[in-house]
Amino acid sequence: MPAGEILDFLRHTPGVFLTNNERDVSQSDFKCRIMPQTTLKVAPYRDAAGYFGFEIFGGATVHIDLMKKQINPFEKLRLVRKAMPNTLIQGLCRGRNLFGYRPYPDNVIEMTVRLLSKYIDIWRMYDFLNHIPNLVVAANAVKEAGKVLMPCLCFSTGVGHTDDFYVQKAEEVLSLLGENIILCIKNHSALGSPARIAKLVRAIRKSFPDLLISYHGHNTDGNDLARLMAAVQEGVKVVEVADHGYGGIYSQAPALSLIQNLHDYGFKTPGLSIAPVLDASDILRLERRLYEKFTSPFQGFDPTVKRHKLPGGALSLALEQAEKAGLMERSHEVFSELIEVREELGNIWVVTPGSQILWSTALSNVLNGRYEKPSDDLKRLLLRRYGPFPFYDPHEWIFQKVLQGGRTDGKRWDEILADEAGLQELADEDLKARLLQLEAQIKRPATDEELCMYLQFPRDALDFIKFEERFGQTWLLPPDVWFRKGGFPDGARISFADETGKTHNIDLISTQRTADSVQTSFLVDYHFQTYTTQLSKNRAGQNS
Amino acid sequence: MFKKLLVANRGEIAIRIMRSAQELGIKTVAVYEETDKTAMHIMHADEAICIGSGPRRDYLNIERIIQAAQSSQAEAIHPGYGFLAENPAFSKQCTEAGLVFVGPPPQVIIDMGSKVIARRVMAEAGIPAIPGTQVLPAGVQGEQIATVFAENHRFPIMVKAVAGGGGRGIRVAQNMEELVKFIEVGRSEAKMAFGNDEVYLEKGLTNPRHIEVQILADGRGNVIHLGTRNCSIQRRHQKMIEIAPAFLPEELSNTICDTAVRAARASSYLSAGTVEFLLDQDDNYYFLEVNTRIQVEHTVTEMVTGIDIVREQLLVAAGQPLSVAQSDIFFRGTAIELRITAEDPKNNFMPNPGLIEIYQSPGGHGVRMDGAVYQGYEIPRFYDSMLCKLTVYGHTWREAVDRLRRCLDGFVIAGVKTTIPYYKQIVTDPDFIGQNFDTSYIEKHPQLLNYQEEVPPMGKLAILVAEINALGFNPYAEG
Repeated sequence: MPAGEILDFLRHTPGVFLTNNERDVSQSDFKCRIMPQTTLKVAPYRDAAGYFGFEIFGGATVHIDLMKKQINPFEKLRLVRKAMPNTLIQGLCRGRNLFGYRPYPDNVIEMTVRLLSKYIDIWRMYDFLNHIPNLVVAANAVKEAGKVLMPCLCFSTGVGHTDDFYVQKAEEVLSLLGENIILCIKNHSALGSPARIAKLVRAIRKSFPDLLISYHGHNTDGNDLARLMAAVQEGVKVVEVADHGYGGIYSQAPALSLIQNLHDYGFKTPGLSIAPVLDASDILRLERRLYEKFTSPFQGFDPTVKRHKLPGGALSLALEQAEKAGLMERSHEVFSELIEVREELGNIWVVTPGSQILWSTALSNVLNGRYEKPSDDLKRLLLRRYGPFPFYDPHEWIFQKVLQGGRTDGKRWDEILADEAGLQELADEDLKARLLQLEAQIKRPATDEELCMYLQFPRDALDFIKFEERFGQTWLLPPDVWFRKGGFPDGARISFADETGKTHNIDLISTQRTADSVQTSFLVDYHFQTYTTQLSKNRAGQNS
Repeated sequence: MFKKLLVANRGEIAIRIMRSAQELGIKTVAVYEETDKTAMHIMHADEAICIGSGPRRDYLNIERIIQAAQSSQAEAIHPGYGFLAENPAFSKQCTEAGLVFVGPPPQVIIDMGSKVIARRVMAEAGIPAIPGTQVLPAGVQGEQIATVFAENHRFPIMVKAVAGGGGRGIRVAQNMEELVKFIEVGRSEAKMAFGNDEVYLEKGLTNPRHIEVQILADGRGNVIHLGTRNCSIQRRHQKMIEIAPAFLPEELSNTICDTAVRAARASSYLSAGTVEFLLDQDDNYYFLEVNTRIQVEHTVTEMVTGIDIVREQLLVAAGQPLSVAQSDIFFRGTAIELRITAEDPKNNFMPNPGLIEIYQSPGGHGVRMDGAVYQGYEIPRFYDSMLCKLTVYGHTWREAVDRLRRCLDGFVIAGVKTTIPYYKQIVTDPDFIGQNFDTSYIEKHPQLLNYQEEVPPMGKLAILVAEINALGFNPYAEG
């Protein structure tokens, strides 16, 4: 359906629409590890539920799909698109940073949006500094592809985060990106009370009464249902939810609870059916057990998010990082430092890549002394390479310490700022040259989709392509095989269906272990096979 | 009829011969070299005898094979194709040892094996031959003859080894410089390969078709033909795909078949043989050679005629007349045969021996498999790389091609690279489907090599499961 028709439908249909955000549930509560088998298993029920949209793509998941799930992100989208023909597929992009952490050249952004728009109907996009010009190239590509554009205003609280500021940002969005959009209030850190959200929506709608608004919130503090209701009561049209079967802690609030509230408050939910929502969660309750080990070390609602403001996904990764650094005992110290760092660095939004910059700076400050070992990304932030500080500049001593430290040219921080600061124009990639470079490495013609992945994540995309050539479509394997700990007992059967619905069986017959190799014998679809894995120093063995 | 037959060969042809023998109630004896002791033909025989440590030399050792026949009390020996099949000494020594040799007598093998004598015999019988020379004398005299021949017939000119065959011992010269060089090189190569350094020249035809006629003769005056085959699709003079019939205009087909029968008579032929011709672009045909053995591609003829050629060979060898007359032979439909080998087409068709981890072959209506391998078989590096012959029958050409495509898709072979993906390219190629091919087909279709390697998808997944099993975790999920 063309984007214009979708927006008209929203404008003229009374009621509230729900978008199921599995991408964020996976990212915030399960370290992005939800496997396609789970998504596909539940797809028919979600499709029948009548959600407006289903977010399955973007954010950190693209990189994790390549690195730790060995799934072609394009293939995942293709499978979901096929399995959910009646639901609009939504993806989240970080503007100029696409799905990574630094800006990409314009022609890479355009190519990526064009190729992904084959599968994505709604493009939700944000810039972590709310610097709207950073969205223009991707937004234009979305419009060119005829897809729905959903630019976000990242929301936070404290100094500078006033209604006037956000209304002015909304005006900038409309002026730079056009009026045929859905404006998303992106409350990734579960901030503000229901009253605060209601006031914000009211202010925006007062200035732009015809603007379609969506609300993306998190339930980190256990209060998002109330915020969702407040947003809807003020005229928000689309809200984001999760399946209650996942029992998300740091992600979205449960769909069913919101639906019950909405109905009791007299709101319609056009097209929504309750039974498939229940069916989906019944399945997911069992599936989630496969992913337990990827949940946060601390379970339960976290009202302290109001102070540290780390979004769900960043919080669990931050805790993991602290644990690895042996700093769990001092986590309170790191979180206090994070709050201080954020305020010192302009009270910016704690969302990727800002969340990583702030957290790693806090961690480094605790370990090495304040701003003693600044990261390159922090230097880029101070050089305004991502955009200007929206409210106030950091103190001069921070500029001095971060920018002058490690320089051998004797330049002062203010000279560095004068000479080097600001957004940088990136030259277009030589796509033909990069294609040849990729093809030389994989020794065969590359597809546009492979080139697209390679341009964004050169090393990981290459590793993935080689992995896929060697092992094929490993997403077919059940998640408990993919995340297996320990060998398989003799007689174990791995049973699964391929994309065509045909059943396959891999039966393990025996395992013979020697000092330097392991021989595994199977029946693969009733054919005997034996593989020898060398236990070399390499992590992955060589098979014969 | 004799009671026991020794098959002096290996692989698919040994099995194929044993099948006909067993149908006639004849016990079969396999021979094998130590390096070939897991070969499938051994399992198909009633008895098996190891004739030496191998590799290759014992299958060529006439004395050992005759000794094996005697010790097993076999009365007859079938040589198959290759190895000793066209060695007149073998036929002769079998006879001298009181064993029946299933094939023509030594003199026929000698005459037809010598390309020069064969050409003379055919010329005397009025059978058109490609213009050529006698054996070239050595030195300047030979070069002078070559120069005159080149002036009379123009290039290309083929330099052929007198003792060559099956595409071996042939070089094509495009100019005088190459001709002189190839005569010299051809001599030394022929000496090494065949123990005979004699070469001769033949006019090269531009993109001819390779047509051949299957004949049967019983030595009692009965000589019949079983129709034509088109074996034009060749790679470096080695046949890859064979088709029956050759789809020639009826009159031409009749003429060529009658010519083949005349050729057989002229050479006093006995048993099964093949008379090969080249057909130029104006449908002029020229005698090429006679193969005095059962040929790889005999299966296509069997499919379209219903005649069991090996059975007829055995009957004739036992002194019986052919069981069929020319008037009994009818042709129905089309048959196509592919030689599926363990070779890597992308690596210049380099043999790719190794362990066959999975082997699943197609079946169903109109499908004939002549295989010699099994799942778990380690293909030895010493012998030819043939895995199996796939022969399909179709009521029409198109039906046969469709069936061929279906069968190729039905193979599941893991562990070694095969020519199957290359054949899959051929059976979907418009020129092949449209029957637009001659001996230059492979050379003119380099794009056939542009295929993706196929490893069974479930086999790939199993490799990952093996790795997880070995390491106790999935290294690719934790990177």
